[in-house]
Amino acid sequence: MVKYTIQRLLYMILVFLIITCMCFILIRMLPLPALPPNDPHTEIIQLRRESLGYNKPYMVQFGIFLKNIFTRFDWGISEQLYIGRSVWSVFMEKLPASMIVNLYSILWTIPVGIALGIFAALKKNTWIDYLISTLTMVVISVPSFVYAFLIQYVLCFKLRLFPFVMKGGTDWFSWPMFVSVVPAVLALSFGVIAGFCRTTRAELTEVLTSEFMLLARTKGLTKAQATVRHALRNCFVVIVPGIFGEFIGILGGSLIIERIFAIPGVGGLTLNAINARDYNVFIMSTCFYTAIGLLASLVVDISYGFIDPRIRMGSKK
Amino acid sequence: MTTKRVLALVLALAMCFGLVACGDDGQTPVGGSGDVQPNGPAAVADGDAGTSVDNPIVPAGIEDGETYTWSSALASISTNWNPLDYEDSGSSDIFSPLTDALYSFFFNDSVHPYEGGEIEPFSRYVISPSMAADMPTDITEQVKAEHPDWIPASATSGYAWSIPLREDLYFDTGYHITADTYVQSMKYMLDPKLQNYRATDVYANSNGIVGAEEYCKSGTYALSEFVSSNFGDDEYVNPADFTLTPEGTYQVDGKDVVLDLTSGGNWGSNSLNDYYDAYVDSLPALVAAVDPLKAAANEKGWVYLTPELLTDVQNAIAALQGYDSVEAYAADRGDYAYQEFEEMAFLGMTYPEVAFEDTVGFYAADEYTLVQVFKAGTTGFYLYYGGIQDWLVEPDVYEASLAQDEAGNWYSNYMTSADTSPSYGPYSMTEYQTEKLVHYSRNDSWFGWTDEIHVYQDPVDGLYYRMNQYTDLDYQVVAENSTRKQMFLAGELMSYGLDAEDYDAYGHSEYLKAAPGASIFFITLTGNMEGLQAREAVADFDQSKNDLETITVLNFRKALAISFDKQAFCDEIMPSQTPGYGIFGSQIIYDPDTCGFYRDTEAAKQALCDFYSVDVSEYDSLDDAEASITGYDPETASELYTAAYNDAIAAGYITDADGDGICDQTITLTYACSNNTDRTAKTCQFFNEHIGDSTDGTPFEGKIKFVESAPLGDTEWANALKNGTADFALCGWTGSSMDPFGLLTAYTWDSYSYAAKWYDTTKDMLTLNIDGEDVTMSVYDWAEAVNGNIVTIDGQEYVYGVNEADQDTRVQILAGVEGKLLQCYSYLPFLNDGSKSLLSQQVFYVVDEYIPVLGFGGSTYARFNYSDSEWKTYVDEQIAAHGQLQY
Repeated sequence: MVKYTIQRLLYMILVFLIITCMCFILIRMLPLPALPPNDPHTEIIQLRRESLGYNKPYMVQFGIFLKNIFTRFDWGISEQLYIGRSVWSVFMEKLPASMIVNLYSILWTIPVGIALGIFAALKKNTWIDYLISTLTMVVISVPSFVYAFLIQYVLCFKLRLFPFVMKGGTDWFSWPMFVSVVPAVLALSFGVIAGFCRTTRAELTEVLTSEFMLLARTKGLTKAQATVRHALRNCFVVIVPGIFGEFIGILGGSLIIERIFAIPGVGGLTLNAINARDYNVFIMSTCFYTAIGLLASLVVDISYGFIDPRIRMGSKK
Repeated sequence: MTTKRVLALVLALAMCFGLVACGDDGQTPVGGSGDVQPNGPAAVADGDAGTSVDNPIVPAGIEDGETYTWSSALASISTNWNPLDYEDSGSSDIFSPLTDALYSFFFNDSVHPYEGGEIEPFSRYVISPSMAADMPTDITEQVKAEHPDWIPASATSGYAWSIPLREDLYFDTGYHITADTYVQSMKYMLDPKLQNYRATDVYANSNGIVGAEEYCKSGTYALSEFVSSNFGDDEYVNPADFTLTPEGTYQVDGKDVVLDLTSGGNWGSNSLNDYYDAYVDSLPALVAAVDPLKAAANEKGWVYLTPELLTDVQNAIAALQGYDSVEAYAADRGDYAYQEFEEMAFLGMTYPEVAFEDTVGFYAADEYTLVQVFKAGTTGFYLYYGGIQDWLVEPDVYEASLAQDEAGNWYSNYMTSADTSPSYGPYSMTEYQTEKLVHYSRNDSWFGWTDEIHVYQDPVDGLYYRMNQYTDLDYQVVAENSTRKQMFLAGELMSYGLDAEDYDAYGHSEYLKAAPGASIFFITLTGNMEGLQAREAVADFDQSKNDLETITVLNFRKALAISFDKQAFCDEIMPSQTPGYGIFGSQIIYDPDTCGFYRDTEAAKQALCDFYSVDVSEYDSLDDAEASITGYDPETASELYTAAYNDAIAAGYITDADGDGICDQTITLTYACSNNTDRTAKTCQFFNEHIGDSTDGTPFEGKIKFVESAPLGDTEWANALKNGTADFALCGWTGSSMDPFGLLTAYTWDSYSYAAKWYDTTKDMLTLNIDGEDVTMSVYDWAEAVNGNIVTIDGQEYVYGVNEADQDTRVQILAGVEGKLLQCYSYLPFLNDGSKSLLSQQVFYVVDEYIPVLGFGGSTYARFNYSDSEWKTYVDEQIAAHGQLQY
């Protein structure tokens, strides 16, 4: 297992470098924003570009980029959006807002989603199951920004229960901040609830019809005991990695939700960086999301081994 | 004795009361300097007492403890509002509350009287000293004597100005502002090592400061100017006159002739590298010419021209113009073929090391007197507005903000957070969160809370009020318009800009504020016959059923100009716009010193009446005649379409094979779309639905169709129009709202003009009677002359620039040229730009009429109907009763 983990880590680093290199070169190959003709400021911009090394070959630029990261953990400075500021500090400044919304979201979506899934599975082929399954399909089919607008209109505008947008400031765990992010959390939650509900229902339905469940009942266990002790444990082999993935996913931002609820998070930063062609910010974001994605898949894969003792990864026959 | 004691007691009491009463007067704001201590509370007058300029009604919230918050939503908030370095226009929103100007704009009233004659209060802007203690004094002769190298010997005025400063200017950090603070700020601005983005603002304009460029580029090699900076004039240099250096490269006046392969120079945004990439597979002559240039370029893309490389660049230009070689190009265009590259080539030189004090015409004459020396004569509006505005920095904070990265580049984090944003304006920044919010509170150390300048007399109640009633200012990022609308209707924002779908509900609201813009949108028609014929020549174009050439028929263009009801279009498609009738919009100012509106002049009105064939004699006045213009006349348009049909038949563009008197072909007009938007689709739909109003019963009935092009991108749509690969676009020019004379070049210079390929302004002659003398010259020459360039006709020189001619004469020329441009029927005036928004019930504007620069007065002149707490109560009541605020 340890060997497997190390091997996966090394692969992960290799894939990370390849993706980063590709992104770096591709983004640098994009033409820089055209300089306005007859604009006296053009000269200043050209001088700045020169000082930032834009005239050097791409691979030389990439080498400098890697060297700065590995020797000084220097991701460079923002060239357009936050001129002169370290992109790492800008990114870290944005991260808490995204994290807080995602954190609140998964803290209640996972239990609710699993509970609904269990309920639907236990009431299989009843009107309750049909209702939950139908709602799940509807919710999954509708993009989250639609809920966002509906939630904002109903809860914030019509009922005046919550502020329209996220509160300013950095008091992330204060009550006013919590109240202000509730609409965004709700908008993010429906899809996740539906996803967990569907997965749990499907897995549990399958497990509940297994022969060992019949054995458990014939041994004298009640339906609840058999479900909790045997069925749920088995179906969690599929669900728990999803939970790990969600927790890692809290670091990522949601572009549309952040825009609608004015959340100053990393989602908007990435989009702005692309639009403004702020290379260093974009590369930083790309590297971050790449790392998050790779890490999530690694954690999910490894978690199988811990959850289900029957799975022994990396072992040879 | 007792009586005396009682009397003494009474007198003593009276004296005490008198002193108390005098104490009230002691709080009255006083003008002049030195009355306000930095960081101390500002002295204010009692709100109940004031109705005079030196005892105005002061902003509420100071005594009553209430807050009055001005809340606005922005799509984004700038991350850097350093006045020396900011790049995006939104930055000014952020730093404006923190700054003030030497001279500011105010509405005309009894406090700021208009000097240009008797006019209604609040109908013009007036420029008055703000941070300056008085208007500037011209000291050109004195400075010329001290620094003869700064000012031309022939100049006698307008070059050097002495500006007295107030003595009570402070940053909110407590830093005392003197003339040295300004000089120090200028040094930071121009510091060669800092390469500040805004430095060029100080020297690159016509009213740049003497020596600023030399100091800013001190010790650096730079490409300073184009070899030829103007199109279409005689400022090209004959390459035979270039000097060949021992190294084999060319120079002009000791400066290197350099081609920058990464810059389009005066050609626009496309560089030779861009053209190379675009035509690498299709234009071998270009590739053959550019390859040696690319090989010779240094890492910046600069090519120092040698005789061989000069030929290459000339061949490259010829290839781009469609010729195999420069010789072939020269056979058609003469010497210009050899000189055209000069529009793209630069002059490069190393600037000598110089000291600020000896070089830059910007210094402190004494502690409170600043001297500013310009490169050219600068007076009036451009002296006040274009001079020192908002780039003062607090030296201690700025020094602390400077940092250097490992590569040696200098950066400053000045004005990137609340802590690094010192204020010398009415408000201090108290909170900033990137891309989220900015909060400001009153800056008590600002002199304007107690002076006699920041006061106005209300045009309705006649009372005097101090400006800036709001105590707090909030900007927050709300990107979604739907969210902004809901927040506004819930009382959380001061204004809401209407979308097209909002006009049904709010188009007639009493809270609606219409702000007309300066730009005119035209139906711009192509006239490029070669391009049209090329489109017709393609295999799948069926000339028996379709036609493109008819658009070039003058009567057809005239008919189109009056075929559509502009007001109906505005109501239906673009409710924020109003109908437009001329080349210049209603908000264009021809005389910035007096806020003179061009469209209000008789010459401008007459030009429109002439163009729309309005017989002025049939009306009581020229004003009435001009007001009758609608630009929509379907009956006349029908006659013109019939005439156009005959013209087009005669020219062979269309046919009537069956002799039914109806055109056989459909005239399809393609909209040159940068993107296919809802607006472009609705525009074509409107035109298709309403063209029948004019064509029904004519040979073109059902035969004219408007369609959208594929998305052409931000630059190509204009080229499509010019090249005839599309037929029309709804477009115009922005900018130059205070310089319509300069804006003429957008129509007369080939590099800008949409119509350059079929309308030659150098050949269209115009005769005007100037001071009793008939002067005839081309439209192009009139435009040049009115912009201050000397035009020679038959050996006689003419120039009608701002320094050479009176404004009446210049307006006469402007109107004459406008009339000529209209009559080329390439620009069919259609819409006057504008915007409309709702203003919160919490506040009201003192004025109803919008004027340029000041608008409705903004937050400065707005007054509150409710304090924040009162407003909350009111909003709760309204929402309980109606579900939302009623607008």
